[in-house]
Amino acid sequence: MDRKQVAFDERFLTDPSGPEQARLIGTRCRSCGVVTFGRSQNCEHCTSSQVEEIALSTRGKIWSYTVLRYASPPPYQPPEPYVPIPAAWVELPEGVRVISPIRDCQPDQLQVGLEVELVVAKGWEDEAGNEVMSYAFRPIR
Amino acid sequence: MDKVMIIGAGCHPCGRFPGKPHTAIGREAVQLALDDAGLEFKDIQAAFCSRVFLPQCTGLKVLTQFGRTGIPIVDIEAACASSGAALKQACDAILSGRHDIVLVFGVEKVGSGFLPPPNYAEWQIRMGLCQNPMYWALAARRHMHEYGTTIEQIGRISVKNHKYGALNPLAMYRKEMTLEEILNSKPVCDPMTLYMICAPNEGAAAMVLASEKTARRLGARSITLAAIEHKIGRYPMLNVAAYHQSPVSDYSCATTDAALAAYEYAGIGPQDIDVAEVQDTDAFCELEAYEHLGFCKPGEGGRLVDEGATEIGGRIPVNTSGGLISNGEPVGASGLRQVYEMILQLRGEAGARQVQGAKAALTHVYGADGHSAVAILTR
Repeated sequence: MDRKQVAFDERFLTDPSGPEQARLIGTRCRSCGVVTFGRSQNCEHCTSSQVEEIALSTRGKIWSYTVLRYASPPPYQPPEPYVPIPAAWVELPEGVRVISPIRDCQPDQLQVGLEVELVVAKGWEDEAGNEVMSYAFRPIR
Repeated sequence: MDKVMIIGAGCHPCGRFPGKPHTAIGREAVQLALDDAGLEFKDIQAAFCSRVFLPQCTGLKVLTQFGRTGIPIVDIEAACASSGAALKQACDAILSGRHDIVLVFGVEKVGSGFLPPPNYAEWQIRMGLCQNPMYWALAARRHMHEYGTTIEQIGRISVKNHKYGALNPLAMYRKEMTLEEILNSKPVCDPMTLYMICAPNEGAAAMVLASEKTARRLGARSITLAAIEHKIGRYPMLNVAAYHQSPVSDYSCATTDAALAAYEYAGIGPQDIDVAEVQDTDAFCELEAYEHLGFCKPGEGGRLVDEGATEIGGRIPVNTSGGLISNGEPVGASGLRQVYEMILQLRGEAGARQVQGAKAALTHVYGADGHSAVAILTR
């Protein structure tokens, strides 16, 4: 059986099995300029179909943060034993903010404005045994 | 603008009722509302049932307990704003001229802990990003960063709501709590702690609506539904279940859109509101609702708390019922429970929670992905 690396959702992440790190996908509206996360056929604000797909920057800043003190419900697989997990709204230069776990970061290091970079890594396995690649952001060292 | 009258209201207590089916909980609220209106179920010409986690045909199953009169009965869902959305549909059914007497009720029976996450994408769930409280916590942290709002100000809203819940026989939690107890309760999603966050639970509330002409003909004791607006946020926003925000500096949110539309329809402004029930899914949600409803300017919600302005006796008492924090959130019923409290206030029947001379009241619900409904009631 060939185990492949597949995107958690092909509308949101470019093919992770290529040579370069996968990128988050965005949509920019040519009519109103709004940028959203994920590939869309229509602008989520103004409804225009004059939209273009873009690759979102891999670096951004924390716009707000929290720490998840309890494990999210299944089918999410929490770390065992559970450790508090930082999560944040990451603001990207394109003018969109994306929700993201923050990894390689202690809760007391979190602050608004912290510069972070995209990490694409295995999230879980699908029924076919493929590695499903998801994303997180981590502080830029 | 044409107005619809509320001629009957009823509310089942909020709490947990093991072994009591939701159809029994719903039926009791509906019976109370019909009795209050002096009507029978066969007088109802259309019915709207608000529910979120209960199954299909909930409205039908509750109401066929009274009998099958053939009227249209639909379930309405708009996340935590469901009952406000249902109230609008019920009101519009009368304003359309098709019906004179309409029933709207909300009912819910949901367990404790994190709500089931059906409105998250599969990938959001698998990434562990489906805890509703995290979204409110993120909003609170940003507001603290931008405006210097403190966790103590947020905590004091929970103190207030616990104080009033202790005076409300319908509330689930009827115990006052100190600021220290609230701040020191278990962190759930930093900076929010357990006692700042509402619990989903069980309950039901019902209203009988009538056209002005029919209310007069019946000689009913009426409260005017001066406005009811339901709006959805026009940009991807910081919302429960949202995975992105596309911020635009001059856009606020669905609450502001619904509130402005409601004030315009009713022909009054926020300064004319004597008492309000707002969506305190957590204590910060209430603070930002003060700003979005126009009770104060953006960023000044904390100051309103410091001034005691939203306490009974202050200039704009908020959540005299104890809010979602004390009542819990029987999701589909919550907004109509708020309306019930405002009806008590306007009728002068709120007892120890009474706001003297209340003439204009506002209710506000806010739900996942950007639903908001705002109602204005007057006497």
